Amino acid sequence: MAWKRRLQYLWRRMLLFAAVFGPGLITASADNDAPGIATYSMAGSTYGYTFLWIVVWITLGEVIVQEMAARMGTLTGKGLTDLIREEFGLKLTVLVMLGLMLANLGTTMAQFAGIAASAELFGLTRYIAVPIAGLAVWVLVVKGSYHRVEKVLLLLSAYAIAYVISAFMVRPPWGEVTRNLFVPTLRLERPYLLAVLATVGTTITPWAAVYMQAATADKGVTPENYKSARLDCIIGAATGNVVSGFIIICTAATLFTLGIRVETAEHAAMALAPVAGPWATHLFGIGLLGASLLAASVLPLSTTYAVCEVFGWERGLNHTWGDAPVFYGLFTASIVLGAVVVLVPGLPLFAFMWLSQVANALLLPIVLVLMLKLANDRRIMKDWRNGRATNAAVTALAVLVTLAGLLMFGRW
Amino acid sequence: MGIYLSQIVGKAVWDLQGQKIGRCADILVREREHGPAQVRAVAIERGNEPELLVPAEHVASLTPGVVLKSATPPPYVPQGDEVRLRSQVLDRQIVDVEGRRLVRANDLQLVRHGAEGRYFVSGVAAGVSSFLRRLGFEGAYADVLKRIGRQPLAEVIPWQDVAPVEADAPIRLRVAKSKISRINPVDIADIITELDRQSGMALLRSLDNETAADAIQEIEPELQASMLTTLPPERAADVLEEMDPDSAADVLASLEDAHRDNLLALMEEEESTDVQKLLAYPEDTAGGIMTTEYTTIPTGLTVGQALDYLRQSASAREDETMYYVHIADENGRLRGVLTLRDLVMADPSSPVDEIMERHPITVNPTVSQREVARIVAKYNLLEVPVVDEQGVLHGIVTVDDAIDAVIPTAWKKRLPHFY
Repeated sequence: MAWKRRLQYLWRRMLLFAAVFGPGLITASADNDAPGIATYSMAGSTYGYTFLWIVVWITLGEVIVQEMAARMGTLTGKGLTDLIREEFGLKLTVLVMLGLMLANLGTTMAQFAGIAASAELFGLTRYIAVPIAGLAVWVLVVKGSYHRVEKVLLLLSAYAIAYVISAFMVRPPWGEVTRNLFVPTLRLERPYLLAVLATVGTTITPWAAVYMQAATADKGVTPENYKSARLDCIIGAATGNVVSGFIIICTAATLFTLGIRVETAEHAAMALAPVAGPWATHLFGIGLLGASLLAASVLPLSTTYAVCEVFGWERGLNHTWGDAPVFYGLFTASIVLGAVVVLVPGLPLFAFMWLSQVANALLLPIVLVLMLKLANDRRIMKDWRNGRATNAAVTALAVLVTLAGLLMFGRW
Repeated sequence: MGIYLSQIVGKAVWDLQGQKIGRCADILVREREHGPAQVRAVAIERGNEPELLVPAEHVASLTPGVVLKSATPPPYVPQGDEVRLRSQVLDRQIVDVEGRRLVRANDLQLVRHGAEGRYFVSGVAAGVSSFLRRLGFEGAYADVLKRIGRQPLAEVIPWQDVAPVEADAPIRLRVAKSKISRINPVDIADIITELDRQSGMALLRSLDNETAADAIQEIEPELQASMLTTLPPERAADVLEEMDPDSAADVLASLEDAHRDNLLALMEEEESTDVQKLLAYPEDTAGGIMTTEYTTIPTGLTVGQALDYLRQSASAREDETMYYVHIADENGRLRGVLTLRDLVMADPSSPVDEIMERHPITVNPTVSQREVARIVAKYNLLEVPVVDEQGVLHGIVTVDDAIDAVIPTAWKKRLPHFY
């Protein structure tokens, strides 16, 4: 009878995990959004397999940052911007909030640009695809409860399979791939370091930490099932970065080998066709569409969580429009702005996206430092403070992104 | 205007000799079930030395700088029921009684009152102006509002509505925000008078017309007029319409002529006429204190018909108390009075004329308020009809308005309410 009890125990554990599972995989999957895919394609086509080892280390960094956010959300039941306002005063809070709004709005626009590009890969005009996508995202979030929204978002994460299939289709030299995962190749030149920074910046983001913590708190994760939340972070980051790895493999095996360098996701997709057949382009397009849709839902949510937390307004997906008018209002505004900029010719989409990247790069070290302080506060975290290894890792990450930020704006 | 926590915390602390002692780190108040919380002590940070707690009795003033009465005050000994305003209240989430998130505590408003000049927490500032003050933009905001001709809204949540503060928990209000007007008007009036003028006004402005009218009626008479005049004229007229005509007339009587005429013109015709009729009588006479909201029925009805008539009657619907039903003929002359109880308990087929009191106690409009009070007390009446020489009914004086003359308003509030 012992095995039966064991099975029951395992089943219970699985149910427990299923209840908590979600935010980690969603944020990690949304990291491979339109700008993300562009970054990986660019890195893969420019540096080939030698870029792969970086993805392994970024995975580690992402797990550490997201786990910290999940742990704080679990223990305090508060969002990240909630805690920032309570502990660091209003001025800094408003600065972080404005930075996040700017960064997220630009990234949201990039998602709609991604949706437009992927639709055009299939010969569908953006003037049909973008409004439909915007409406779909809006209806999903405004009409759905947290659980329904989460289910749909998790389903969207399945876009990842498209990249796995196309990576196998291009038949990369698996031996070389494996070696480059573990053997670092470092180049001390500015474009390479910028590519590394871009990859870090698209994977470890302020918005993901904000979303992670708010969603964990919103789900009501308790210290008892925190282990499941941590597992969710690890599985999510691993899955998300395996996908990044496959995108790099895809482009390295084809474009890098032929010496074609691409800057955007749709160029990568089109460049794949002559090498790997039209199927590769279509798979790439499906992946881009899925990732962009997912990120277009999650990014505005992150903005609205942050703004509502700062002001203390009602937030969260389990409320009606009447209970949380600002939450849904801001969400709607983000979607509309994101879609309109892509549709109306002549609007400075790229200037805005650049500005949002700047905001992201400036914000990330600040948010990391604030998270470090919060996660080490005895009064807030009690016995759940950061361990020494986590502190060392996050400090190193903060220093790295600060230096990289300086590099981005300064002269080499 | 009240003072705010953000104007105190971080400021230098001096003793009376002008010696700098440190910086104000926090303010400790006493947690109380009801009413404004008294400031107990001021926490002072002094570089690397441990925090110093100075009892409120040894603080001379909090603004413009914190000044202590002595250089070496005795340390305050915490008693375990203090709340730290800066670390436990400022910037915290405020939720309503149902746990819905409303806003964050942008600032805390303090008032100084009493003979000893003690400080109290009067409320939690949660509006735009408090938010901008924290960011240092208050001046610019005030300028903009001035230019578009608006008053800054203080939006202060009265401390009375804040449940005891718990560590690590959001600040809970005792009421749902939408239900703040469901507090008894008497309590709202108390809150308004206890708050400083500006936030009292802000609270009044946030109420709907009916609640505002009820609340104003409960405020000390001296304050009523000044409260009303700070409302925009259209709004003031709306509130006056909702007030009992006698109270409205009292308030209007104490205004300047031009202002009064302006408000009367803005009011609805019907309410305006009622009030003007009342204004014609001197304030301290039966005519001045009577109300025109009373119930009449025509003569010659049976009890059953009378009850049906009342259900349809506009005057009956407006009469909030209806202790008595008055029987008046076509010329408006009072023929008799009976209590609602008599009417309800009687046989529906019997004529009203048979069971009514044909010779009720009445007063002339020119009778002094004191005399009305005496009559009401002598005959144990709940109201007395006001009737002129021709026997025409003009209004009624209810017992609470009658006894105002002999019992000050503040005392009256402690008496039980009849409604």
